[in-house]
Amino acid sequence: MFILGFAFPADMGNKIPDEAVVAKLNDAGVDTSSINEIKMSTEYHGQTEELSYTNKDTFMFKALAHYVSTAETDYMIYTNRYQISELSKRIDSDDETMALCEKFDSMAHFKISAA
Amino acid sequence: MAALRQIAFYGKGGIGKSTTSQNTLASMAHYFDKNIMIVGCDPKADSTRLILHEKAQNTILQLAAEMGTVEDLELEDALKPGAGIFSADTSGGWINCTESGGPEPGVGCAGRGVITAINFLEEEGAYEEEGLDFVSYDVLGDVVCGGFAMPIREGKAQEIYIVMSGEMMAMYAANNISKGILKYANTGGVRLAGLICNARMTDFEYDLACALAEDLGTHMIHFVPRNNIVQRAEIRRMTVVEYSPQADQALEYKELARKIIANDYKIIPTPLEMDDLEELIMKFGLDLEADEDNIGKSEAE
Repeated sequence: MFILGFAFPADMGNKIPDEAVVAKLNDAGVDTSSINEIKMSTEYHGQTEELSYTNKDTFMFKALAHYVSTAETDYMIYTNRYQISELSKRIDSDDETMALCEKFDSMAHFKISAA
Repeated sequence: MAALRQIAFYGKGGIGKSTTSQNTLASMAHYFDKNIMIVGCDPKADSTRLILHEKAQNTILQLAAEMGTVEDLELEDALKPGAGIFSADTSGGWINCTESGGPEPGVGCAGRGVITAINFLEEEGAYEEEGLDFVSYDVLGDVVCGGFAMPIREGKAQEIYIVMSGEMMAMYAANNISKGILKYANTGGVRLAGLICNARMTDFEYDLACALAEDLGTHMIHFVPRNNIVQRAEIRRMTVVEYSPQADQALEYKELARKIIANDYKIIPTPLEMDDLEELIMKFGLDLEADEDNIGKSEAE
């Protein structure tokens, strides 16, 4: 199984507990102290939108910071984005994050960077 | 040396199996240095054209017909080295290609070509080529025809990746292929290794693909978004990986390739009953309008 790009061994089955994903993310050792804002731009059918996300206390922020720190480019892989949203909806609860999850669930193309 | 892995891409006709498989295999060769033999098992013989930069290569059945019998055929006549970056003369992995071919439309059994091709390749030692890491079969249809089930029946393909989308018929085919895998899992050792969602960008497609995967006991290994660059590359008879290696879509195929190489989640699937499959689709709102009261009514009604 692959979640957020992390490989989970086959003996864990196809239902990986959220805690196991969070633990992998923590083990990845991403330093979020220098990242204060995640900037994103989306594009779908010619419509573009600029987004900013600053809630540092969330799973969402940690996952995005990890993505930005490890990705080869600013393009967001769709699977990872959908998985981040799926997990965030279960782990986080604030309005800003839930609004971002809703955007992540779309078909739009996302670019991401840290500021 | 790592053991040879034999994988197969199955899925309903027109779902994008050949495009997905060639782009993924191209990524496995180009980014991860894997050496691959592609065995096209579709009478259309379009499983290798992007790797070879050709319209369609001569198939084993065509060549055998020209020579008289398949016994007169030599391996080098039927197995062609990939063009451009997929040649053994360039850095990175190489890809060799062959197509089984099939009968004229409306005549004969298409599965016969698959059987003939695999037997020929085995007898000619194609599977023993030095450095070969993967054999990949690209197989048409939904295994209702036993001939197309040949790669899994005979224990050739060990890992099956089902290319599907959020459309009803693609999911039906995925479930049907799982039934085929289940049938031969104990005799041949074949396993379902994951669903690949070649997205049509329909509503709730990701959720639907994940739910189907979970019910089948597998995982949705990757969601491949729709992107026009795939078609632009195809017009030049190229994979995206070769046409534009820095393109966003190339990164999607690269990530799928990485996952396939690392994948250890291979299971005997648990196919769904038809009613359960329909229920699954309704659950995700694809058929919000399929309430009993709405069946048979037009949008205007």
